[in-house]
Formats: sequence, C-alpha cells, structure tokens
Amino acid sequence: MFTQFFGNYLLNQNLVSPENLAEALQQQSRTRMKLGVLAINEGLLTADQVEKAHNEQQHSDMRIGDVMVGMGLLTKNQVDSLLSAQPSGHLLLGQTLVDKGYMTTSQFEFALSSYKRENSIKDDDFKNVDDNTVRRLVDHFYSFDSNGAIYMTSYVSLLFRNLVRFIGDDFTPMDAHALYGTVLKCIEQRISGGLSAITLIDADAPTMIEFASRFAKENLTNDDEYTHACVSEFLNLNNGLFAVNVSNDSGLELKLEPQSYYDSLDIKSLTDACVIPVRFSFGEVDFIISM
Amino acid sequence: MTNFKVMVCDDSIFVRKKMRDILAMLGVSNVIEAENGQQAVDKYKSENPTLVFMDIIMPEKDGVEALSEIMAFDGGARVVMASSVGTQKNLKDAIVAGAYDFLQKPIETADIARIVKKAAGNAPRQVSPHI
Repeated sequence: MFTQFFGNYLLNQNLVSPENLAEALQQQSRTRMKLGVLAINEGLLTADQVEKAHNEQQHSDMRIGDVMVGMGLLTKNQVDSLLSAQPSGHLLLGQTLVDKGYMTTSQFEFALSSYKRENSIKDDDFKNVDDNTVRRLVDHFYSFDSNGAIYMTSYVSLLFRNLVRFIGDDFTPMDAHALYGTVLKCIEQRISGGLSAITLIDADAPTMIEFASRFAKENLTNDDEYTHACVSEFLNLNNGLFAVNVSNDSGLELKLEPQSYYDSLDIKSLTDACVIPVRFSFGEVDFIISM
Repeated sequence: MTNFKVMVCDDSIFVRKKMRDILAMLGVSNVIEAENGQQAVDKYKSENPTLVFMDIIMPEKDGVEALSEIMAFDGGARVVMASSVGTQKNLKDAIVAGAYDFLQKPIETADIARIVKKAAGNAPRQVSPHI
C-alpha cells in the first residue's frame, strides 16, 4: 500500500507525469532491483555515493557490490543482506522510474526521505504492512472529518486492500473531492442498518471492462450486463467484508441492498458524498461514498 | 455424478457463471439457475435439486426467506448459503433457518468441492458450531 501512496506523492511533487507513473506501475513486476536503490532506502548510502560507485564501476570489471565494498561504502555483510531481502513495492516502483530515466537516483532519494518524514513512516513499516498500517496511511492521507470519519477510514482502507487483492496493485489513489452533478455509468449499492451509506463505482466503459476483466480473470470486451455484474460483485464483496468488520468491531449489524447499474444517475442530493478517484494504469475509477 | 442436480441461486450473472464453471470442473453438469429467492423456491419445488447454493442479498425475495420456505416444503433440503456478509448474525440466522452450510464470498473452488463431496456422500446437515 506504500507503493500506491508513494506514487501519489511523486505526482503531487511533480516528480513524474501521470503517464510515466502509470507505465512504471504496469512494468514494475518485471524490474530487477539494483543495489544502489536498496542501499539508499536503508539509509546506508546517499545518491551521491551510489553515483560515485557507478562511475568507479565503469572503470573496472567488478560487480557493483564489490566496488562499494572496495570503496569502503558498504561491508560484504551489508551487500549480502540488501540483496537477499525481498524488496517492497515502492522500491520496485522507484527502481523502474530510475531505470526508465523518468527520475534520477537523487530525485528518488529526496522523494523517498521526504515521503517517509511527512508521513511518519519508519523503515520497519514497509516490512510489516498490516491492516492498522494501511488504516493509518489512509487516515493521514485523506483526513476525513465527517461524523462517520472512523467508518470512512475503515471503508477506504478495506477498499484499497481489496483493490490490491482482486484487481491489481498498479494504481494510485488520488486526492478526494466533493461530488457534483450527474454520474454516468455507475454501479450502486446501498447499506442500511447500524449505519446508512451509499456506495458507487463510476468509470467509463473501457475502464469498466478492464476492471471487470481483472476481477473475473476473463478477457471481456463488451460493456454489457456481464461486465456490470463483475464490477457489482466486487462492490458487493467489499461492502460485505466492511459489514463483517463493522459487526466485529462495533457490534453494528449492517444490511446490504442488491446492487444496481445506472447509465446516468443524478446524485446532487448526496451532499455529503466523497469521491475517491483511483488511477489505474488502464484508466480512472471513482469510488463515491456517502456515509 | 449423473443424478446429482445442483441449483445455483444468485442475482448476479457473473456468480452464476462462475459457479457453473466450478461445478463443471468438479464433474457436476446438471445445474439449474435461479435469479432471486422466489424463483429458487418455485424451481426447488419443480426440479427437486440435490443441493442448492443460495445468495442472501437478492431482489424480490432474499436468500434467508427462500431458505425458510424451501425447508418448510422439504425438511431434508440441502441449501448452502453463500454471502459476502459472513457476520455471526447472518450465520446464526442461516443455521436457525436450516442451512446445510454457509460460505463467505468470494467463492473458492475448494469450498465448493468440499460441500459437493459432503452432499454426494449423503452427509447430514452440519454447519459450524462456533456461534
């Protein structure tokens, strides 16, 4: 989940373009981590030191790890430890951006350290991303201030985890905004009982088809009832798990209504609704929540 | 499993297809579908399936109401409730109404295989006692 919020941070700092970020998110699974980025992440080296080591390597036939040990920058044990650790997603994203030339190593170092500082993230947090960590990130990022802020944070945290679980991790959560006017092409599910909520998924047809394809693990091509049913089922699963969490945590029993698909829906009456735009590599999906 | 007839009741065309695919993989080809609770009750009476997978949140008549009506018609009916809302309350309601088992969505092939095997082995109704 750090990867997704780190992507948002890079966009907000104008360090990458939305197009370059989307491309990097899509390709990061094929990226091979390099020692320099790993060492910067652990705070063992600066971007400047990494660059010097790379320059040094060009004049020798040695591996970069041996060069760094030879220069006294790292010990052999540190090199082995860095190379054997499983890299976190945000590092794969950073490495991909550096490899593609969309960011320099120095820009990555600066972005990563500011991101950690501004979000009070410790290095260990990257290794143990549990439910509470995601909730803390969401709370810090969105700072919901309505009456149902606790439930909104809980809902959005669960939503992001389910997006990673069922759709893919190549997305960037964007800043929330208020709702205006009419929503085209959306799936709606209402929640009643212990708390009342209206939840919607809104996307254009090609994005809806790709979202549905990923959820169903099928190659869908039409914007039809089946595609809408797939997206509806994602919403139903997310809301169902939310209801289970609320029941376990607060003892409130929620009731879900059947989902509906609309070609066009007037939502002016939802004055307290919040739009959470999520930018996938294949398009933007808006999650609209009134709680 | 030529005599083994399964009814899948869910208002989602996606879930019905997914269930059909899983059941076909398990060798169950005799599958009928219902799109809401009322259709499920009507088709149960006319088709007498061996096993039923029933969603809870559906238009017209929800799954728990349909389960109660089916159990009133046939006390030996095997109706598995499948819902995204696996709260203790829903689980308890389903058991009280006579459910054969309860599945939390998303539906996994292993769960369906376990239940089909149990029903094919003529096992009596048994759901989790942890309420």
